[in-house]
Amino acid sequence: MIMDLKQLRSRRSGTFWGGILPYLGYVLQSGVAFLFLFCLIAFAAWYTAFIRHLPEGLPIRWISLALLAPFAAAGGFRTYLQPPDTVFLLPQEARMRQYFAPAWRGAIIRKYMIQAIILLTLWPLYMAAEQSPKPLGLTALLLAALSLLLSWGSWRELTLVSRRSAYGCLLLRWAISFLAVAAWLWHPSGRALLFIAVLAAAYAAALRFPPRYAVPWEVLISAEKAQAARVMMVLGWFVEVPGRAQRVHTRRWLARAGERIPWEPQQAYRYLLTKSYVRSDMFMIILRAGVVGALLAWLSGGNMLGSAVYLFFVFVIGVQLSELRRVHSESFWLNVYPLPQGSRRRSAVRLVFRIQLWAAALMSLAFIPSLLDGRIAETALTLAGGLAVTALQRVYAGRKGKDEEDEDEE
Amino acid sequence: MTPMPVLEIEDLSGGYNLNRPVLHDIGLKVMPGEMVGLIGLNGAGKSTTMKHILGLMNPQKGEIRVDGTTRSQNLEQYQGALAFVPESPLLYEEMTVREHLEFTARAYGVERNRYEERSAELSRMFRMEDKMDSLSIHLSKGMKQKVMIMCAFVARPKLYIIDEPFLGLDPLGIRSLLDFLMKLRSEGASILLSSHILSTIENYCDRFVVLHRGRIIKQGTLDEIAAAAGMPGQPLEQIFYSLVQDGE
Repeated sequence: MIMDLKQLRSRRSGTFWGGILPYLGYVLQSGVAFLFLFCLIAFAAWYTAFIRHLPEGLPIRWISLALLAPFAAAGGFRTYLQPPDTVFLLPQEARMRQYFAPAWRGAIIRKYMIQAIILLTLWPLYMAAEQSPKPLGLTALLLAALSLLLSWGSWRELTLVSRRSAYGCLLLRWAISFLAVAAWLWHPSGRALLFIAVLAAAYAAALRFPPRYAVPWEVLISAEKAQAARVMMVLGWFVEVPGRAQRVHTRRWLARAGERIPWEPQQAYRYLLTKSYVRSDMFMIILRAGVVGALLAWLSGGNMLGSAVYLFFVFVIGVQLSELRRVHSESFWLNVYPLPQGSRRRSAVRLVFRIQLWAAALMSLAFIPSLLDGRIAETALTLAGGLAVTALQRVYAGRKGKDEEDEDEE
Repeated sequence: MTPMPVLEIEDLSGGYNLNRPVLHDIGLKVMPGEMVGLIGLNGAGKSTTMKHILGLMNPQKGEIRVDGTTRSQNLEQYQGALAFVPESPLLYEEMTVREHLEFTARAYGVERNRYEERSAELSRMFRMEDKMDSLSIHLSKGMKQKVMIMCAFVARPKLYIIDEPFLGLDPLGIRSLLDFLMKLRSEGASILLSSHILSTIENYCDRFVVLHRGRIIKQGTLDEIAAAAGMPGQPLEQIFYSLVQDGE
């Protein structure tokens, strides 16, 4: 009997999302639907006002490049592969194309949907700010073709034998995406298309040479683990979900983080959490949220909208950081090591507070132009608001942690 | 004056299900400076006994004392008096070998200069010097097991609970581990060790506890067990084989 690989993949996908489904009710109950709607309305109001009163010399081509190129370059395949597959599916290696086909399709469809949303949202701003705009249809077609090529490239990277080559190809993929979109935005259509075609051909040719695995089992299993962890992480913002595997980044430049933490059992958990944080996905997410928040606040010109954007991002960063409280919730060693009672909760709350405070302080740099314009009172009020949001989230986290601790003791 | 046992288990029954306990009336002691081998077939209850000692499972009946206290009386003293080496390495993927040792030392309240000395000695002994700054995900299984052992040894508690420590270790690693255990024992540490490699532990343990189907069927020195089994002078493996055959 031949194993139905397509059905196996579909069953696994069903099991994964079936496991997520029960949590969605809780997500809605947590007020996320309301918050999402509120954010959407607030964004729509801000965006409409922003388009009506466009600032002079808005770098629209750079903004378009920053919004369109990353989504064309991004990869991300859900294979639902599991470690035992290296034993049980290995004999099916020659037929694995059947198994992976839905993963490729799914990745492309997801990418197209996200791109459509980004493009349609961006377009009114682009048309208002660009003096010689490109046609929407042709831009969409170009992005679709580019996304297809780069998705193929992203899959190809996963199959490369040398991880160093794969890393090189990843950089190449992002460079191609930015170059192609930039060529389209800055140059006349004909010349840009010719350049993009040559670039695409060179990229496709370059990816043919490095040696590849037929199926890169270990890479795919690790990538799948990371993808699943990401879904669970997003879910974890709203509801308690069981322990999730985190992707680990070496980040040698942060190797010394946590070394100055006082050497005492009370602070041992803070040491562990700091190490976990600086090597997690969350670190980059917070960094990105901080940069985007500061950028949007700065683009808003430091007015009321800018303040709202700033406060919103301080809040979102706090919500994201609250995930840190759950990072080691099921750690074996924390039940065995003699950590002082309550030190886990206290360490987590303090660490989250410090990081959020740093993020709020760094994002406040966006208000330097407002200060220079003499709007000292408004700016001080905004920054005080950021501090208040951070403090309130700390109080909430402290209370919640205490309640959970009391429940555990009962 | 008789010294106080470092580990004392009295009349312990426990398991995953109240109606079907895995352990039945377990009673054993480990004295200071003593190394006790906990031996039994797969499923005999060795790991379950260890989980009860660690506090990962609650006894249905009986009491466990470590360093003279129960978990409910003084949790920090109880936990601070023992270190555990699990059968399968359990490491934080995002931490390096050095950071694991440091976290353990911080949690157990080991002074910084002591930690530095111990860490250097252990990394040399287990030939891990060039791996100290590697993330644990990049280590082989044997190396991960070495990290687990090093973490337990950096803490220097009174009692070591060691579950199948030889799995995955190379012959030099096994030798280093046994040498270090002997050193710790001579310094007064107590060790409860489970292993299936009876020919190895036969020469190192002071006493043995034979578990079978959740009950202790014999305990004592090798000579005492051999005498009780009617097999004087026989190796531990033969005695154990005979005991569990009779217990079937």
